[in-house]
Amino acid sequence: MTRAATRIGVMFSETGPYSVVTRSMLNGARLAFSEFAEQGMVALEPVVVDPGGDLRRYSELAAGLLGDGIRHVVACYTSSSRKEVIPLFEKHDALLWYPSHYEGFESSDNVIYTGASPNQHILPLIDHLIRAVGRCGFCVGSNYIWAWENNRILREGLNARGGRLIAERYLPVGETDVGKVVAEIVAARPDFVFSTLIGDSAYQFFRDFRAACAAAGIDQIRQIPVASCSLSEPELEAIGPAAVDGHLSASVYFSSLDTAESRGFVARYAAAFPDGPAVSADAEASYIAVRLLGEALAAVGDDGVPAVKAAVSGLRILAPQGPVWIDPETCHAHLTPRIGRSNAAARFDVLAEAAAPVAPDPYLVRTAPRFALATRAPGLRVV
Amino acid sequence: MLDPRLLQNFNGFTAHLVVADRHPVEMLETTLRKLGVDVEWLPLAGGRAVLPERPLSPERDILVVDGDLDAPLGTAGDPSARLLVPVIGLVGVETPGRLKALMQIGATAVLRKPVHGAVVYSALFVGMNGFLHRRRLEERIADSARRRHGRRFVIKAIVAVMRQTGVDDDEAYAILRRTSMRERLSLEDYCEAFVGRSEAKQARPDGQGRQVAGTD
Repeated sequence: MTRAATRIGVMFSETGPYSVVTRSMLNGARLAFSEFAEQGMVALEPVVVDPGGDLRRYSELAAGLLGDGIRHVVACYTSSSRKEVIPLFEKHDALLWYPSHYEGFESSDNVIYTGASPNQHILPLIDHLIRAVGRCGFCVGSNYIWAWENNRILREGLNARGGRLIAERYLPVGETDVGKVVAEIVAARPDFVFSTLIGDSAYQFFRDFRAACAAAGIDQIRQIPVASCSLSEPELEAIGPAAVDGHLSASVYFSSLDTAESRGFVARYAAAFPDGPAVSADAEASYIAVRLLGEALAAVGDDGVPAVKAAVSGLRILAPQGPVWIDPETCHAHLTPRIGRSNAAARFDVLAEAAAPVAPDPYLVRTAPRFALATRAPGLRVV
Repeated sequence: MLDPRLLQNFNGFTAHLVVADRHPVEMLETTLRKLGVDVEWLPLAGGRAVLPERPLSPERDILVVDGDLDAPLGTAGDPSARLLVPVIGLVGVETPGRLKALMQIGATAVLRKPVHGAVVYSALFVGMNGFLHRRRLEERIADSARRRHGRRFVIKAIVAVMRQTGVDDDEAYAILRRTSMRERLSLEDYCEAFVGRSEAKQARPDGQGRQVAGTD
């Protein structure tokens, strides 16, 4: 008698301002499901739903999946959508497999985090910027928690090493009128721009900033490079050829990694999804989430959350980025930070990488200063 | 106004837990350890928490006290005996009496029992910074009181300078203020010392008791 397949929820937005990335995440998950189907190691049945970028739909669809008896859901890209559904997973004692880099300061017992936490993306980027680019930055971001927290960490990191931020500017998610902030940056001439813009806002910014720099006689790549912790290959393609190259990105995975695992992953992905979007770090994180989940389910024999969590803590997989395993205390992944620079082929040249996977530190307890930066000048001594 | 230097990383702190039943706070211990905070369970003897032998310090210690216990620190009802470390209260029975007891031992944040992991960092952040903020305010109040006490010496010093030099009160004040700044003393401290010296010299039998601010 064959055992019934375990149903796994999969929830990513296939439309909306950041769907280029989320569709690649869906593809990464689908690839892992198809591999399990081929290998026969464990029977999984993906139940795919599409919230369409609507925050309320995330709750409704997650409630539907969990109410239907599904205990494991691979889902979400933005922190706002993750925060929206976590209470449901806690109520149902189910497990959310969250496969995206994020800003940290969270560690729910009902979430397995397979994307990079801040010590695996923004901190290595700060090191690189200080070492190789400059100490004077300008932040531009989409107006939500991802941008606010990363800018805070960057500000503290720069300040601790004698650097400074000229300004922080925020645009609404999806905003494509970036002319004002582009003009401001060109006038300010920072050493680098730190972008936490997402989706269409980011792509428009890269194009307009390159053009504005050229008009002002500035070699943008060399004089004011743009750095970010979220830029990925499908987004480079969305930017277009005129402004695709020379951007710095901190990530735990680039599809250009020259390892057998990465080459195999990219080839299988391309064969399965010839129409794209291209492989991204978050697609790899989604692939890792399903691989870890499937292997844990195979080891346990049922989908009970405590047993699957215990099993996943003991797993160590050779992912496209290299060895990956879950820290049982924080439920975050050990991952390998890297710095890449985009090239004309819409891929990244790897400039630097950690020698080994780095333990997750979602609350930055090992690195953050004891006190937050003062936001105003210290008071004078009154006598 | 909050001081801008907010405590944000609690790595290396020790949380001393005063609870009767560990079960509702298991998640608290798990989450504190994730935040780099060591956990010590304080034993109860005769209903009173047995505090560590070493003095508790606000730079490394925090108390988490179960509000359902009856004065486990033995200080309820005595605001002057408030502990000098941050206190986070655990709320079970949500009555004015239990909440008042937590306030009396200085709780600046609370966690609802059973404790949920997602709010522990928030309680630490608000509780610790609330404690530091309150401590700074208390220090400022004490400093204001001390300076208010010192204003009588300022008046005495102004009168003395006017008498000795013939200047008006505004000029006398300006002289004293200038001199106190040069000596890096508060105006009140300088005037107290000035008046003390002036009175001591006037009491000398040789009659050489005259001193002028800025020349002594």
